[in-house]
Amino acid sequence: MKYVILIHSNPRPWGHPTADYVPEFQALPEEERAAMHADFERRLGELSERGELLGGEALGDAASARLYRWTDGEPLATDGPYSEAKEHLAGFFLIDVESQERAEEIASQFASPGDTVELRATMWPGGDEG
Amino acid sequence: MNERELEDVWRRESPHVLAALLRRHGDLADCEDAAQEALEAAAKQWDPPPENPRGWLITVASRRLIDRARADAARADREQAAVAEPPPEPPGRDDSLELLLLCCHPALSRTSQVALTLRAVSGLGTAEIAAAFLVPEATMGQRLSRARATLREAGARFGRPAPDELPARVAAVLDVLYLVFNEGYTRSAGDALLDGELTREAIRLTRELGRALPDHDEVAGALALMLLTQAREPARTDARGDLVPLAEQDRSRWRSEEIAEGVAILERVLPRGPVGRFQLQAAIAAVHAEAPDAAATDWAQIRALYDMLERVAPGPAVTLNRAVAVGMAVGPAAGLTIVDGLLQDPRMARHHRTHAVRAHLLELAGDRVGAAQAYERAAALTASLPEQRYLNRRAAEARR
Repeated sequence: MKYVILIHSNPRPWGHPTADYVPEFQALPEEERAAMHADFERRLGELSERGELLGGEALGDAASARLYRWTDGEPLATDGPYSEAKEHLAGFFLIDVESQERAEEIASQFASPGDTVELRATMWPGGDEG
Repeated sequence: MNERELEDVWRRESPHVLAALLRRHGDLADCEDAAQEALEAAAKQWDPPPENPRGWLITVASRRLIDRARADAARADREQAAVAEPPPEPPGRDDSLELLLLCCHPALSRTSQVALTLRAVSGLGTAEIAAAFLVPEATMGQRLSRARATLREAGARFGRPAPDELPARVAAVLDVLYLVFNEGYTRSAGDALLDGELTREAIRLTRELGRALPDHDEVAGALALMLLTQAREPARTDARGDLVPLAEQDRSRWRSEEIAEGVAILERVLPRGPVGRFQLQAAIAAVHAEAPDAAATDWAQIRALYDMLERVAPGPAVTLNRAVAVGMAVGPAAGLTIVDGLLQDPRMARHHRTHAVRAHLLELAGDRVGAAQAYERAAALTASLPEQRYLNRRAAEARR
């Protein structure tokens, strides 16, 4: 079962890892921050080694986004960000796991102070007629 | 010899080649590498192929194992001795069971067991397995190498486990084969190319397992279940590729040979009892197969079978199916009582099928608004595109 893990964040200035640029994370003692970063790297390595991580990307500044909206019968481009929300999509991971429980376990490990982690199932073409 | 012919030989011989190597040298990763190298040598040298391709492959792969053992000075002497001579091959021996048992070793996760079975027993390439499960080849490669490393760490040996371990080990093999079957079957409403291959392969391996364990009634039951399910395949999608639910399928399109074979298996094994979950699920599929149309379904019998299944293999998914059977046999209110109980479990409350069943029962009870809301909830929760289209359509119809 495939899922995307979406990282919503508001790094100031925009940067990666996002945690380094959010006040909630910056407020932690340095050892704790270093430990959390090391933990995250280790988990990412494990996911990859287990064959569960399919990919992922860190995204550029939401302010640099280009938006296209259908206007008067054609696409009209404007500059981002997409919404006035505090947090923006900052990065994503695609995973393939055995169960919803495993997906939830992994997603919870991606949580970090100041960020919001969203777990979404991807749609698949098959189904069960029963 | 062209690539296609070589592949056919490989698919037929690779489990036997691997088994012969494994009998002398226990490490699956090393044996797979050696077998792969022998295959590459065969691709270059077979013109025409030898009379005994299996013997040729075993001899060449054994030499590779010896070379490797010699090159690896760190290896213990005893291991060198173990691969020093080409393994003798007992004639007519069926190695598929031992190889299946190794690939479905309890130290491995289900997904690893599935991947390793398709690689080592079916002889599928990493790229093919990756394509079948819609993941990148590198990801599948990682799953496989981790699985082999896990077997090594667990000290897994090739061969028959102790008699008291065997039932649980065979049960794991059956679970894996049924998972492979289901993966192929439920995907076939999609557009992946290898679906037919997965279902065919699961049926082929279950048949082989049945030959190795002719008195194992659950192996027979699993084969019957796969055949009776596979028989519906021509009717389960419409011209647009959308899923057609069981109740609306054109049963004249069900394949009668597969139904006949599945029913014949059940008639042979069911009277022998005790009856396990695969036999019961197959029996339920057989009752559906016997009804000329959905209205003629013997729901009382299906309900009795689900009652038994719930005792043999209890779980929320079985309870949900029993709710449908009770709803049809007794009346929607009785089925809804069971579903409402399941909704107390947060996992089931987030499962689309719970709400789809509830919607269906509410519809039967005449509550169209409640049914529409439940269909909409189910549509929001499913990750299957064809199911979502179907559920949204049912919601719209209920609101009309």
